[in-house]
Amino acid sequence: MAGFMKNRLRECVDHLRSKGVDYADCRYVRREKESLNVTDSNVDAMSRNLNVGVGIRVLNKGAWGFASTKDLTPGALKKTATLALKIANASAMTVKDKVLFAEQEAFVDHYKTEFKKDPFKVSTDDKINLLVSCTDILKNSKKIKTTQASMDFYKINKLFISTEGAEIEQDLLESGGGFYVVSFDGKEAQKRSYPNSFGGDFATRGYEFIEEMNLIDHAERVREESIALLKAAPCPNTETTIIICGPQMALQVHESCGHPTELDRALGTEISLAGGSFMTVDKLNKLKYGSDIVNINADATTKGGLGTFGYDDEGVKAQRAPIIKKGKFVGYLTSRETAPVIKQRSNGTMRADGWNRIPIIRMTNHNLEPGTWELEDLIKDTKNGIFFDINKSWSIDDKRLNFQFGVEAAWEIKNGKLSGMLKNATYTGITPEFWNSCDAICNKNHWHVWGIPNCGKGEPMQSAHVAHGTSPARFRNVKVGVSK
Amino acid sequence: MIGKEKLFKQLEKVLDKSKADQTEIVYIGRESGLSRFANSYIHQNVYEDNSQLFFRTVLGKKVGVSSSNLLNLSDLNKCLNDSIEIAKTQPENPNFPGLPKPAKYKELNTFDETTAKFSPNERAKAVKKIIAENNRKKFTVAGSLSTGIGEIAVLNSLGVRAYQPISSASVNMISMSDTSSGYATSISRKVSDLDVVKLAKIAVEKCDRSQNPIQVEPGEYEVILEPAAVTEMLVWMNFVGFGSKPFQQNMSFLSGNIGKKITSDKITIYDNGLDEKSMSFPFDFEGVPKQKVIFIGNGVAKGVVYDSTAALKDKTKSTGHAVTPDENNEGAFGLNIFMAPGTAKRDQMISNVKKGILVTRFHYLNGFIDQRNSVLTGMTRDGTFLIENGEIKSGIKNLRFTDSFARCLGSTIAISKETERINSWWDAIGCTTVPTLHLGSFKFSGKTDF
Repeated sequence: MAGFMKNRLRECVDHLRSKGVDYADCRYVRREKESLNVTDSNVDAMSRNLNVGVGIRVLNKGAWGFASTKDLTPGALKKTATLALKIANASAMTVKDKVLFAEQEAFVDHYKTEFKKDPFKVSTDDKINLLVSCTDILKNSKKIKTTQASMDFYKINKLFISTEGAEIEQDLLESGGGFYVVSFDGKEAQKRSYPNSFGGDFATRGYEFIEEMNLIDHAERVREESIALLKAAPCPNTETTIIICGPQMALQVHESCGHPTELDRALGTEISLAGGSFMTVDKLNKLKYGSDIVNINADATTKGGLGTFGYDDEGVKAQRAPIIKKGKFVGYLTSRETAPVIKQRSNGTMRADGWNRIPIIRMTNHNLEPGTWELEDLIKDTKNGIFFDINKSWSIDDKRLNFQFGVEAAWEIKNGKLSGMLKNATYTGITPEFWNSCDAICNKNHWHVWGIPNCGKGEPMQSAHVAHGTSPARFRNVKVGVSK
Repeated sequence: MIGKEKLFKQLEKVLDKSKADQTEIVYIGRESGLSRFANSYIHQNVYEDNSQLFFRTVLGKKVGVSSSNLLNLSDLNKCLNDSIEIAKTQPENPNFPGLPKPAKYKELNTFDETTAKFSPNERAKAVKKIIAENNRKKFTVAGSLSTGIGEIAVLNSLGVRAYQPISSASVNMISMSDTSSGYATSISRKVSDLDVVKLAKIAVEKCDRSQNPIQVEPGEYEVILEPAAVTEMLVWMNFVGFGSKPFQQNMSFLSGNIGKKITSDKITIYDNGLDEKSMSFPFDFEGVPKQKVIFIGNGVAKGVVYDSTAALKDKTKSTGHAVTPDENNEGAFGLNIFMAPGTAKRDQMISNVKKGILVTRFHYLNGFIDQRNSVLTGMTRDGTFLIENGEIKSGIKNLRFTDSFARCLGSTIAISKETERINSWWDAIGCTTVPTLHLGSFKFSGKTDF
């Protein structure tokens, strides 16, 4: 698809090479998005979006410049390349140490997402009927105030060409969806979602991923749980044992392990927006981040993960990198610029939110490896505690130490059994203390890669599509129930 | 920049070809540059030239939306037809009121030539001044300086023709020592309004004063919340409480409380896109003129913002707060949030605190914990101080708060006369304009190590 752009990008790269730049890359990105949203059985939004353009990154005099344009004509691209060089020269006015850019094999390749059913070819009727059927079931009670079901699909064609000779084309496909329901009794309102909150679950797969969610089969249970929450007891304010469900573990990994192990954060280059990291370079291979059963890998090759791709946006091949090994902090997410600081090569995590953004370090599939427990056995093994299910709120400090997360629903565990439902449940902790209190992780039967399509970072803001393979896990002596 | 006449001429050609019953076109064009710095040098420096064009077409009560950034005539016609094809596949939406009719909107001056011409070199020179102020104290600094221009147009087949050019400039900076940090920020339509040296001095002073912070135990304290901190809270309350969707879903803390007193009577919060003290903008993404909407007036819950679809549901009229067509199922949203000033002076407010905490800003707030009770949680950041006997005694390590927005505003003691314009999520078409607050009760629920 990007064939007609190849020569134009090559011309841009040649132009910059002729100017003697240290390095340059040009990225063409064509992104199609389709969104469907059904509220209370009415289609209140269906939209398609097409976004196409080219971003040009230049390293000159040891400093970076980037310019991007929607105008794909050769003249506009050459002008944009010249502007990127001018911007790099402006950056050089403040540079103290020149950028060290790690060497990289120049790949020539074409990567494609594997899928069975192209969601853009599935009839609109089929998609709408599925979403309407969900909300028909969800709204079937006087206590239900709002029901909403949605799907989103992305088709991305990318072409990357660099002064080093890399020519990489990628065709990525993403599918996702889910639903939520709001119950109301005149005083209280409670929300419940499936399969995850804030849009559901996402993957680099086709429409078969939507079908495998069995959305309709879960609608009645979710509706009834939402209604039950109206009469649930508030989460007690205490310290106890907690078991966290898979999707909430995804959020836990995301906020307290994914972000703090981004090397750009650890080196201070994200301070102005998202903050830094307590996992500073001096702690690498020393910090006991978690208990011995905690193993976390950043794996951009996980089959179907939302953070799965062929190459990152500076031409580094997708790979699996250890982050936490038997509880010890052993690795960062890195780029070609940051990896040399810790005397390593990039592990391929630089991704841009489209043609008009620079690549920055992003999580890929930041996976908590499965443990040995069946969930049923884990609950039986827990005398007293609370089970936390599906994220509702999230907050963490700017070095990723103090966190407080809330969930849609929780259940008390009494004598090894789930008992009363709890509403507005929260838990809070300090990251390494919390992960060192992890004494059980469920096995691969409970492991799922949860797609998160809205990870914010950078200025201007970029939204990344990332994922976390997780299974339910148990933590001891956790403070719960701080709600106001 | 294409310009009003040329843009209308191009878009009317496409509008005239539409075979839909009603057709709406929203155009958003933007050229912007941003220099980002950290560890006292520019590490990211970017420019973007982009635009987005949305078609919303209506067949009876069937609605389709399609958008693209490809703007030649054939691509536009394709996008229009795509929108009609989407509409054809839809069931009737009984809640759709039809597109708005034309209405006169206020003339506002929202464009500055100097800002439009501000170059990457000029941005770098401004950043060098910020770095120089930090070098004096041997602090490092991180932040960003951005300038941009754009134009927004809304046309529809019922005769709506709305157009507005805009410029914007914003800066934020965090000065850092080994043990502390300090923050300053500003936003304006004019880059010449950004006094980067003055702002750098504020950030440096906060960083300097908060060095070697002491640990204060969580608990209930009096607080002085500076404008950036007030903004963080208001942005979240706007998101979960002041829009039509959470209100109609009964998730908002205003739902069921209209006419009831919910905060101190000193508190008035409203949206006003027409007030040039804000990043003003005269109409919404349906071309409906913006109106001032009071959310909380002298402590009493008053109302929320509406677009035309949400307004129909509540049997009222749009207040001019529609979002872009691809997001309009999310309901109406305020972009120019104000908290009304009081009469106090900032220094006097601090001197009236016997024992309390001054918060420069918050980090990573979240308001989804218990929306109906307006419960928020978040961390302090970049300049948190202990006040004792009316004086700032020392910097303190950061704290987590978890409290009800309405409850803590119920304890308002004083509000500053001066307000500041603070950048929020909406950059070029909105911001918050807020004072400093002195609250009698604010609940800190946790602490961290720095």
